[in-house]
Amino acid sequence: MPYLGSEDVVKELKKALCNPHIQADRLRYRNVIQRVIRYMTQGLDMSGVFMEMVKASATVDIVQKKLVYLYMCTYAPLKPDLALLAINTLCKDCSDPNPMVRGLALRSMCSLRMPGVQEYIQQPILNGLRDKASYVRRVAVLGCAKMHNLHGDSEVDGALVNELYSLLRDQDPIVVVNCLRSLEEILKLEGGVVINKPIAHHLLNRMSKLDQWGQAEVLNFLLRYQPRSEEELFDILNLLDSFLKSSSPGVVMGATKLFLILAKKFPHVQTDVLVRVKGPLLAACSSESRELCFVALCHVRQILHSLPGHFSSHYKKFFCSYSEPHYIKLQKVEVLCELVNDENVQQVLEELRGYCTDVSADFAQSAIFAIGGIARTYTDQCVQILTELLGLRQEHITTVVVQTFRDLVWLCPQCTEAVCQALPGCEENIQDSEGKQALIWLLGVHGERIPNAPYVLEDFVENVKSETFPAVKMELLTALLRLFLSRPAECQDMLGRLLYYCIEEEKDMAVRDRGLFYYRLLLVGIDEVKRILCSPKSDPTLGLLEDPAERPVNSWASDFNTLVPVYGKAHWATISKCQGAERCGPELPKTSSFAASGPLIPEDNKEREQELPDSGALMLVPNRQLTADYFEKTWLSLKVAHQQVLPWRGEFHPDTLQMALQVVNIQTIAMSRAGTRPWKAYLSAQDDTGCLFLTELLLEPENSEMQISVKQNEARTETLNSFISVLETVIGTIEEIKS
Amino acid sequence: MIHSLFLINCSGDIFLEKHWKSVVSQSVCDYFFEAQEKAADVENVPPVISTPHHYLISIYRDKLFFVSVIQTEVPPLFVIEFLHRVADTFQDYFGECSEAAIKDNVVIVYELLEEMLDNGFPLATESNILKELIKPPTILRSVVNSITGSSNVGDTLPTGQLSNIPWRRAGVKYTNNEAYFDVVEEIDAIIDKSGSTVFAEIQGVIDACIKLSGMPDLSLSFMNPRLLDDVSFHPCIRFKRWESERILSFIPPDGNFRLISYRVSSQNLVAIPVYVKHSISFKENSSCGRFDITIGPKQNMGKTIEGITVTVHMPKVVLNMNLTTTQGSYTFDPVTKVLTWDVGKITPQKLPSLKGLVNLQSGAPKPEENPSLNIQFKIQQLAISGLKVNRLDMYGEKYKPFKGVKYVTKAGKFQVRT
Repeated sequence: MPYLGSEDVVKELKKALCNPHIQADRLRYRNVIQRVIRYMTQGLDMSGVFMEMVKASATVDIVQKKLVYLYMCTYAPLKPDLALLAINTLCKDCSDPNPMVRGLALRSMCSLRMPGVQEYIQQPILNGLRDKASYVRRVAVLGCAKMHNLHGDSEVDGALVNELYSLLRDQDPIVVVNCLRSLEEILKLEGGVVINKPIAHHLLNRMSKLDQWGQAEVLNFLLRYQPRSEEELFDILNLLDSFLKSSSPGVVMGATKLFLILAKKFPHVQTDVLVRVKGPLLAACSSESRELCFVALCHVRQILHSLPGHFSSHYKKFFCSYSEPHYIKLQKVEVLCELVNDENVQQVLEELRGYCTDVSADFAQSAIFAIGGIARTYTDQCVQILTELLGLRQEHITTVVVQTFRDLVWLCPQCTEAVCQALPGCEENIQDSEGKQALIWLLGVHGERIPNAPYVLEDFVENVKSETFPAVKMELLTALLRLFLSRPAECQDMLGRLLYYCIEEEKDMAVRDRGLFYYRLLLVGIDEVKRILCSPKSDPTLGLLEDPAERPVNSWASDFNTLVPVYGKAHWATISKCQGAERCGPELPKTSSFAASGPLIPEDNKEREQELPDSGALMLVPNRQLTADYFEKTWLSLKVAHQQVLPWRGEFHPDTLQMALQVVNIQTIAMSRAGTRPWKAYLSAQDDTGCLFLTELLLEPENSEMQISVKQNEARTETLNSFISVLETVIGTIEEIKS
Repeated sequence: MIHSLFLINCSGDIFLEKHWKSVVSQSVCDYFFEAQEKAADVENVPPVISTPHHYLISIYRDKLFFVSVIQTEVPPLFVIEFLHRVADTFQDYFGECSEAAIKDNVVIVYELLEEMLDNGFPLATESNILKELIKPPTILRSVVNSITGSSNVGDTLPTGQLSNIPWRRAGVKYTNNEAYFDVVEEIDAIIDKSGSTVFAEIQGVIDACIKLSGMPDLSLSFMNPRLLDDVSFHPCIRFKRWESERILSFIPPDGNFRLISYRVSSQNLVAIPVYVKHSISFKENSSCGRFDITIGPKQNMGKTIEGITVTVHMPKVVLNMNLTTTQGSYTFDPVTKVLTWDVGKITPQKLPSLKGLVNLQSGAPKPEENPSLNIQFKIQQLAISGLKVNRLDMYGEKYKPFKGVKYVTKAGKFQVRT
């Protein structure tokens, strides 16, 4: 964002940089350069002094060099032609006696990010890989990855990759880790760096020498290694044991994940590991850094999915302190909800109750929902707490409590009585759409148990004109009709008024249609209305479905210590898809020739065919291969059920047809070679009821038509028709591709 | 791994950015600002934000946001830890991690970021190694630099990087050989209305300052090592030795470092050194309320409790507070509604108290919930868990070092509900 006046600044700096007096005075010269950098970091466009800065790079002052290189890395993409001038100096610095200068120059050169720089950096990088100072080797190793990126990810330099693999044996631990990082990037398209037995063992032995970042990353790379024997596996686990106690939570989590993955066939080892990391995880949950806390809590939830009782004895750790940020509080409430058991339920509910009156409405509401969740198991206590909350007469609390009640009576019918007693009076404290809908639904479905239900609904009917939410009106219509069935005398009049309003005055089409529908339904007769509207009032079995079953550890082990527990898998999938699309975008011309010879059936057609069998209510069973003999016998014993002629023009490839038919589960029993005329093929298919379809295809190129004869072992026209339409589509598609 | 880093201040200005791979436009931060707006309070911005093409992982430290841009799947803890390390390094170099300090030293900041991360991967993060690469600014040095024209960049490679033991540089020499250990314990606790403990736990660390020549091999033993529930170690500690003998045996890094951190949790009884008597009430339908708190010592093992501060976030409807205190001073900020009472020391003869009237917004409903009290305190020469160092032995070197152990107990997240 160059703002006004930046031109003057550039002009002035340019003058200063050119001034020979300033150039002679090292200190003043450096100060001017520092000013340039400062402006640059503030977002001013400083590319105007590029030429002068390049000149300034020829100096013995290492600070000045650093600053100039920093400048060049920022603006080189804008001024590639001028940047080439600097390369000479950089190359010279790459053979400076001081390893700091060599490393600095090499790093800057690799970060220039301009086209054409590759040819200059290749030699310095190769020299750097063999440098005797580890500092330079570290830079050079990562430089390989940068160079590869500049090449546009296209070709992989085999010699370079081999060199990097051999550098895995370097004595400097950071060089080793950098090699892994670099190889991973270079070999991205081939699935990353390969960890075989010697490499894995080498890395395992070096683990203790690495810094925490290196350890965390190596643990991640080791996930790819599959130990050959049980003995080796347990040796590895023993070796890594101490990392479960590391002071860095990142390393602990990395080690845990490795343990979980390696021991995937030994559930007791997995459980054991999870017990051992309980301590470190809990420590992270109460860490000073709230961000660490948050991520640790997300992982605690993940573990609880498999081992519900795992943290139950530590439930107090998850009590919220009021100064914590919301995202932590919300996670803690979720965790509390999941680790409730008979012993701690009293304390947990007590604690949650305290949160319900929190200053933040969001947090209070999520605490109420949490109580609702616990209510599925400990109904009585929770309903009592929720009822007490209604007494506070706070809008944001009442609406959520009523919504919780609605969900609860559906799952736990035993609490209906208590809920019905609690409801009267809360209509005064509900203003939002969700809350009103929930209340009206409850009044409609359980109205016969609530004495004043019709009068509450009457209020809603009175004010229906000023009601802003159409969903509330819909709910009101249904509820009133339901209540009318159980208490006709009290409701008849207002139902009439409501229907009149909805049909005559309402502007929302959905509400109007619903009104008309109910009106006509009433005309049919009350029995019919009852049959349609009086469905079951609860469904406890749904609770079992909603309760997340204990998931095996292996189902999430590979997601452990990634962003998945924090943000869910779906999102990464979309991100990587976007990136994939971006990557493919510019390369389209290259791949177009491939696409033509590629898949036999274009993507969209394939989908169509797979959908078709379903739409015709016909399910063809895959892999129902008949023997030729059996086919022949059946074919001769049956009569032709259907015969049809399709137009066919041009060339014919039997293989294409065979594959296409395979996709829709039609098997080819026999066919003539390509080019024979007339060409014949025999097909068979069977649907899920056991009905056999035998087909003969006869192609006569002279007449440019294909004759289809279908025989069926059970005479059923419906399935026959759908089978024929499937067949037609396939043949039609094949023809489309050709033309 | 880490693509870019943006530093953002509380008012939403991006005042520094650094890109390790290609340049990511500042507009990616819009997603962050959106989340910030939604969160209302800066404290509540979630640490992981997803955008269509990136993930933003951020930390909030000293009123600054460190926002990193991530493009590939990474272990989130790794990134968060690293960002904290960056903030720690700034703190270490400039004495504070503030916008002003970073802007003043922007050149050093860039040098640091360049050395700490290359191509998005962490390289040198150990403070003593970094300090040999880039010398921290001091007033004296900047004066000297301006006279002699020398720089704050080391000309030689850090020796620590070439030693066989990665955390210790070779050839260390001191005239006075000293080894100091600070046992620091923090009590995290929630005390409920009636004064009983809802939850209490001790988080302890042992920080060491070792200035010993050569390659000393130390072993530290405790009087009561079984006390420690859950310990995490500096990489220098030999884990097997701890498992078998409960002795910390290690070749220490040079200078300051954290030896172990540990937890003493609710299973063992945690002593609560202070109690609070409180009565806070708001009258229905009137615009005033009463506020009265008194602090006293409890289970303090005969030591003085000092440095006490009480912070209370009063409800939004509170307009002002008229209080008198028997000790220390109090302030009430009517904008943030935070009451801070700086108490100082407790003398058991005369317990400090703070009482008076609370003015409420007239007409507003009375607050549903009483505020919680946050308490800070400090006890010198006491580790509240009872942990004691037994002895420190040194092998491998001939000289006699000077040894010292200091204990201190502090309040962590210490909260009293009313």
